[in-house]
Amino acid sequence: MNTLEVRNLRKVYPAFTLQDVSFTVPAGSVTGLVGRNGAGKSTTLKSLLGLVHPDGGEVRFCGMDTAENEKAFKEAIGVVLGGIDFYPKKKLKTITAVTKKFYVNWDEEAYRRYMALFALDEQKRVDQLSNGMRVKYLIALALSHHARLLILDEPTSGLDPVSRDELVQLFKTLVADGQRSVLFSTHITSDLEKCADAIVYIKEGKVYQAASMQEFMSTNADKGATLEDIIVAIERRAWDERAFI
Amino acid sequence: MSALLYKQFRLVCHPMTWVFVCFGVMLLIPAYPYTVAFFYVTLGLFFSFMQGREQRDTDFSALLPVRKQDTVIAATAFCAIVECAALVIAVPFAAIGAKINPHGGNPVGLDCNFALFAAALLIFAVFNAAFLPAFYRTGYKVGISYLKAMIPTAVVMLLCEALPHFPALLWLNDTTAAGNLKQLPLLLGALAIYFAALPLTARVAARRYEKVDL
Repeated sequence: MNTLEVRNLRKVYPAFTLQDVSFTVPAGSVTGLVGRNGAGKSTTLKSLLGLVHPDGGEVRFCGMDTAENEKAFKEAIGVVLGGIDFYPKKKLKTITAVTKKFYVNWDEEAYRRYMALFALDEQKRVDQLSNGMRVKYLIALALSHHARLLILDEPTSGLDPVSRDELVQLFKTLVADGQRSVLFSTHITSDLEKCADAIVYIKEGKVYQAASMQEFMSTNADKGATLEDIIVAIERRAWDERAFI
Repeated sequence: MSALLYKQFRLVCHPMTWVFVCFGVMLLIPAYPYTVAFFYVTLGLFFSFMQGREQRDTDFSALLPVRKQDTVIAATAFCAIVECAALVIAVPFAAIGAKINPHGGNPVGLDCNFALFAAALLIFAVFNAAFLPAFYRTGYKVGISYLKAMIPTAVVMLLCEALPHFPALLWLNDTTAAGNLKQLPLLLGALAIYFAALPLTARVAARRYEKVDL
């Protein structure tokens, strides 16, 4: 069963077009959204979250149309937008007190458990947390309302290798029960190699390839042995060194 | 809606908003344009909207399980609560001000009476109607929206302060019980306009915000 189905998602900007992006996120999987800067990863995530108005396409979450069931969809997901710090001068305690009022399924016991697991102190302000701890706090919030799908936009950017590894392990643990899924965009391909079950590769606003990790690696084996080598080989352009002299 | 309002007060409201809410104390200043006390309340709202923008409240709210239009309705309700609180807090100061100067002798403009509160309600109604739809056209341009709102708000303020200078309208400055009774229809009319304008303002602002790509 697919947790998320994206069909022919299209968004037209004056200088960029997201063209007929289609992919699925199976239940119990970690799906990596990759592509170079400006390829359309964030636009894809924003379009499927309804933060921008798609010009076409359809997004279904557990079979239901997300545009028609916006509230139910957002009740069932957790979103972490990398690089965005909400309310930096507020204590985690205050943000939690507000956030939990929005979720019918809020589980205070689970929240306490995740806060303890991630060693998060509620009395701290957001700007007193490291980048890794901020991401973990947002994940703790998402898990405390039993989100079935975590959508993360570059959550591991700017994190040290140990914190990144912790998050990657966390993603694998989260999806292990087969109920929850993770969709995350990243430039750090080594993270995906460790945990992704599937890859959605976006190039110039189009899906270049959407496949299982194994299939992606085998079909692109001629381009390189690692995900990074493959991406570099796909994206490499003709280079005129004289142009820089 | 109550959760959104709770968020507005716990996470978005700037402390200066509450300071300006208490500016009804300015009604004790002798010979002063008292509508300025209510102008400061709009400045307090500006601070809160700026705080919301700087703290990425728009993005946070967009990810919550609420409709986009509900965030606009909550923001409108927040403005209304702040404005009504300012009016209520100003009442005792207006009463004291009227006692200090019982014959309605404010040489600047409106005195502490029902006509002043009617003017304050009109000022707030015009401010809301201009500021909120302008802000929700983008969801982030607070400064320019406030400047745009200040033009009609200032016009209403000046007009209200100028009225008692016309000999035929001297009764607008009366602070006696009989004078206030004569001004009561103005206050009731302004209340009706204020509360009728709120849902219209929210509807226009929400319609604009629906079109915004965040």
